[in-house]
Amino acid sequence: MNVEDERGAAPRASGVGATAPRVGGLERVTGRQEYVADLPHADALRVKLVTVDAARARLKAIDTRSALAVPGVRLVLTAADLPRPMPRFGPQRRDRPVLADRETKYHGEPIAAVAAETVDAAEEAAGLVRVDYEELPAVHTIAGSLAPDAPLVQDPSLRPGDPLANSNVLREHRYGWGDVGAAEAEANVVIEGTYTFPMVTQFAIEPHAFMAAPFGDGIAIWSSIQHPYWLQRVIADLTELPLSKVRVFAPDPGGAFGGKQHAKYEPLLAFMARKTGRLVRLVLTLEETFQAVRRGAAQVRVRAGFRRDGTLVFRDIDANYLIGAYADIADRTVAKGSYTANGPYRVPAVRIVARSVLSHTVPSTAFRGFGNPQQIWAVESNMNEAARLLEIDPLELRLRNLPRPGEAFIPHETPADGDWAMAVSRAGEMIGWQQRPSDGRGRGIAVGLKSGPTTGLSYSTVRLLADGSVVIHAGTSDMGQGARTIFAQIAADELGAPLEWVTVVMGDTAVVPYDQQTSASRSSVLMGNAVLGACRDIQAKIRAMAVRLEGVPESDVTVDRGEVRLADRILPVRDVLVRGLGRLGGEVIGVGEARKEADPEHPLGGTSAFYEFNCTAVEVDVDRETGDVTVMRHVTVSDVGKALNPLQVRGQDEGAAVMGLGHTLMEHYILDEAGRIRNLGAIDYRIPTSMDLPMRMESDAIENADGPGPYGAKGMSEGALLPVAPAVAAAVCDATGVAVRELPLSPERVWKALHPSLARPLDPVEATPR
Amino acid sequence: MRPFEYERPSELAQATSLLAEYGPEARPLAGGTDLIIRLRDGSLRPRVVVDMKGIDELDGDIRDDDGYLRFGALTTMTDIAADSRVRRDYPALAESALFVGSVQIRNRATLVGNMCNASPAADTAPALLAYGALIVATGPSGTRHLPLEEFFVRSGVTTLARGELVVAIELPRPTSSRGSVHLRRTRRRGHDLASVTLACAVTPDGKTRIAYGSVGPRPVLAIDDSGRLADPSLPDTDKAGLLDRLFAGASPSPTSMRASPEYRLAMLRVLGLRGVKAAIDRLASAQAP
Amino acid sequence: MTNRRPLELTVNGRSRSIEVLAHHTLLDVLREDLGLTGTKECCLVGECGACTVLLDGHSVDSCLVLGVEADGASVTTVEGLAVDGRLSPVQRSFLETGAAQCGFCIPGQLVSAHALLTDAPHPTRAQVEEGLAGNLCRCAGYEQIIEAVLMAADAADADAIADDDLAARSARLRALGDRAATPDAELAPQ
Ligand SMILES: Cc1cc2nc3c(=O)[nH]c(=O)nc-3n(C[C@H](O)[C@H](O)[C@H](O)COP(=O)(O)OP(=O)(O)OC[C@H]3O[C@@H](n4cnc5c(N)ncnc54)[C@H](O)[C@@H]3O)c2cc1C
Ligand code: FES
Ligand code: FES
Repeated sequence: MNVEDERGAAPRASGVGATAPRVGGLERVTGRQEYVADLPHADALRVKLVTVDAARARLKAIDTRSALAVPGVRLVLTAADLPRPMPRFGPQRRDRPVLADRETKYHGEPIAAVAAETVDAAEEAAGLVRVDYEELPAVHTIAGSLAPDAPLVQDPSLRPGDPLANSNVLREHRYGWGDVGAAEAEANVVIEGTYTFPMVTQFAIEPHAFMAAPFGDGIAIWSSIQHPYWLQRVIADLTELPLSKVRVFAPDPGGAFGGKQHAKYEPLLAFMARKTGRLVRLVLTLEETFQAVRRGAAQVRVRAGFRRDGTLVFRDIDANYLIGAYADIADRTVAKGSYTANGPYRVPAVRIVARSVLSHTVPSTAFRGFGNPQQIWAVESNMNEAARLLEIDPLELRLRNLPRPGEAFIPHETPADGDWAMAVSRAGEMIGWQQRPSDGRGRGIAVGLKSGPTTGLSYSTVRLLADGSVVIHAGTSDMGQGARTIFAQIAADELGAPLEWVTVVMGDTAVVPYDQQTSASRSSVLMGNAVLGACRDIQAKIRAMAVRLEGVPESDVTVDRGEVRLADRILPVRDVLVRGLGRLGGEVIGVGEARKEADPEHPLGGTSAFYEFNCTAVEVDVDRETGDVTVMRHVTVSDVGKALNPLQVRGQDEGAAVMGLGHTLMEHYILDEAGRIRNLGAIDYRIPTSMDLPMRMESDAIENADGPGPYGAKGMSEGALLPVAPAVAAAVCDATGVAVRELPLSPERVWKALHPSLARPLDPVEATPR
Repeated sequence: MRPFEYERPSELAQATSLLAEYGPEARPLAGGTDLIIRLRDGSLRPRVVVDMKGIDELDGDIRDDDGYLRFGALTTMTDIAADSRVRRDYPALAESALFVGSVQIRNRATLVGNMCNASPAADTAPALLAYGALIVATGPSGTRHLPLEEFFVRSGVTTLARGELVVAIELPRPTSSRGSVHLRRTRRRGHDLASVTLACAVTPDGKTRIAYGSVGPRPVLAIDDSGRLADPSLPDTDKAGLLDRLFAGASPSPTSMRASPEYRLAMLRVLGLRGVKAAIDRLASAQAP
Repeated sequence: MTNRRPLELTVNGRSRSIEVLAHHTLLDVLREDLGLTGTKECCLVGECGACTVLLDGHSVDSCLVLGVEADGASVTTVEGLAVDGRLSPVQRSFLETGAAQCGFCIPGQLVSAHALLTDAPHPTRAQVEEGLAGNLCRCAGYEQIIEAVLMAADAADADAIADDDLAARSARLRALGDRAATPDAELAPQ
């Protein structure tokens, strides 16, 4: 990426704004970084889940005798071993049972679990658990779930007082402003389309791993989890222990992408640990991760009205998200993704309806972009179709409708917090938008907006040790976004320590103070501010020391960026520290807190702390005979407020862009008619490799220091994924004249769109084998 | 993975007698890139795995052998793709070997294993068919040579008899110049199992040998000796009709999730035309002074 | 259960003599029997490359090799790339370009990169893309990973990247194909 010098002064070597090397990088390049599966576990019982090969089944009987007879097997836990009623949990609703409760509701839902001395024994025994079941009809499409005679995914008794309890709609969200009906009259052109987004999965290269063990008079859990404190609460509730007796260890996850936000099998392991009195350990197979986490599929109908000059006059959006059998955090992804579905546009009348539709499928959950990519795919594709129809340049069409910095674009909501037109123009310049691409190629552009956290609470303690080195406690999970580095840079800068002298302690709820969660690209902003606050706390104490040591008035001393400024000279913080601590040594402790308060009146419970905004422009080449789409150029520009570490900003943007290319070009679950996932695992679920990159990828960041985080930073790391699909689809349309409204844009799908007559099913002669 | 016995015989006779004794309960192991996956997913549950890498008579060499280029049972895709004789005389084989999996896979995967696994999508099969490969099989009752066309039955099944092992694959040395190429279709540019795989070879006598896979239960060889396919001046529209006849052996599965039958057949046609054209071009440049 | 079989092999230069079960893979042996957890486990079907190690100098997916097959062989894992506590050029360049995000794929990427640079000390960008295609990175830091490999190739002669002339290196990077180059600012002295 292009690091402009508009930042002004040259960055300091390793402080904020510099390309400091990753904290934890050395461990990662030497194989010493320990993920959950790497922790010592010699004495652990190995756990294997028992499932049935059906999407939905009534469980009649479970016979565990042969399984228990396998040497080394210590426990086969079934629902009968759990308290009654079945303990349930979930971040939005307590609807997910620890083990399937009389009925499995999706392909891969565990109905029992084996714990044995070896993996081999656990696997063998799991295969010997005999389950007598009756397969039941399953719903696994939006139409199927919404059909009047569809079987109910959730028992209405789990949804007391819910008027929708007798349907598969978990919740319907309605947002909007203005009078869409009246606005329609003012539109010269109305464009309507329905856009489909498939089920895709996070596919972190580290499969989820969990351990649990009795620990003192409480319990310890190890998990590759993004939200350790949330997990702590879930386990405390289920085990009826006080929070202080539940210790969650959360080593850095090996990629998470939202899929590791919330509890999955930790509750099961907690019960198994208590039952056996042993350390129990479960590492999922990649296939099992596909059955644990995914993104919600969606079908979005968009109607948009424009004046002939391209001014948007209304938007009417109706979205159905296919979530899974349990809510997990899926309904929140629907709410948040839909609340901003109109995107970063100034539109007088907007109506948004979005439903969370239950189905007999893997519970969908958070996934980079959190419910927004589905809406952005639809709305931005619709926008590009409008540009074609109106014969207005799609880049220009956006500029005409984007709000200016500070302008309200959603009533009662955080106004535009960035110069978004600048990002669009930058993307245009970078790809050379004004020159037409060479023959046969097509160009496309799209923007994406996502609201950041709506509430938040992060604490940090920072300890300035006697020699000037620093220990930071921060409850964020560093899952690859590089949170450790950012916090270390902030502290290094503010306390005047070399970066290598800073240690960041994370991932232990007994040691590190509370953090609400690691999601919504919040950590640089919220935890960043908490760390900064803790540093300021220390600075105040250093200032008091300086006043005392130098005998000068308080007003003559300021402490900032590692320096103690007196009227006549500047001292390093460390100097003052060493003298101030004196003979006994010790340390200076700072405490920081960052809150984003809730707003009970707000439809989302709070306004957006910031927005992530990205503009993506691509150039593609389409092989008309095969349907192959090759991205020749990919330009991605994010408004980050301030790049605290440009190297990491680039990594996040390019990584998000490539992930976006995955769901744009190749990724999707393939279900059979019974609702089972056919392409479980890495062989038939394709994600981009190093050979699937755009021929040329460029990223850039807009830095106007207009964010709420440290030094004007905003959250980032999801933005560059948001508009990839509509940008690529627009480019395909530009090249071929054909608009594809369903993802992924696989060669076969593009080919079918280009050759509708050839794509009919084969005539019988051809289909007969020789 | 389920437990099994592991044997690592040092003589071919030991291996074949183990295989004869255990029959379907024994499995030869070469590079393991197919076998170990199937042992793990439980679709194969042999009692004995017979590792062939310790057998003195078997090797991974590529040898010139009296009118043939001979690939030992342990020859890997990496070695094939790098071999200058293969690249010069059998470019479609070198190309197809390079398509197999990733570097890590190609370092283990053997050419013979690719045949014995008998996947319809086996990438090196069309090239070997187009070049007229022979399978050399040794069993309790001796050694026999059979044309590769007679080797495949259906996915995972070959005509090997109980106790038989493939000890080598032989390719006849080219008797004239030849233009040949391998093409395939996948869902991404990075390694992937082919939804159509095709090799085409044309010779100055006007013969076109075209072999294709992943569009039916086994790879198929078809030959045009009318001279018309190989004719550079015949327009594609005419060739399409000729090719359709050669592709009569294609019957893609309607239930595959990698591609629909109509897409596979359409791509077979596209690859057919592209393959013929590329082979003709290569022949022309081979003949250019 | 089946009996254990003796296995003698050299791992990262150290000879090891253990007993293993025949159906356990080299990956199982490394992680469980030898406690070398740097080699990672993900797909178990040869697709992701997280388990990549060198077996007699060739990169292989250790999830597709039985432990017993490695009898008499020499194995190098990520833990063996640094020599005498000194990072290899490619390890250093991975740090420098920020190639490691979550880091889970990185051991496999490094072993593949190491194998590639042994075979092709001065690879083209296309060769690097191809050479690493068997190593999935879901954080998809591919651009920075590829740059790191190219940088290590460049620095191999100079040996110590840290002492290399930064400006010259960034100019070389810029010259690598028509891809976006890394401007000097990103290579500023740390
Ligand atoms: C990630 C990945 C990607 C792949 N990509 C491709 C691809 O793109 N194209 C492709 O064609 N294949 C691909 N494969 C499949 C596989 O790599 C090839 O089929 C390979 O050539 C098999 O050779 P092997 O030595 O590993 O065989 P093994 O796994 O050792 O054996 C395969 C089968 O053949 C039998 N067998 C082996 N040798 C003999 C013998 N001498 N006599 C009798 N029977 C024998 C075995 O018992 C077994 O049933 C891929 C595999 C993986 C894991
Ligand atoms: S774990 Fe071996 S290749 Fe994925
Ligand atoms: S760094 Fe996370 S998967 Fe590659």
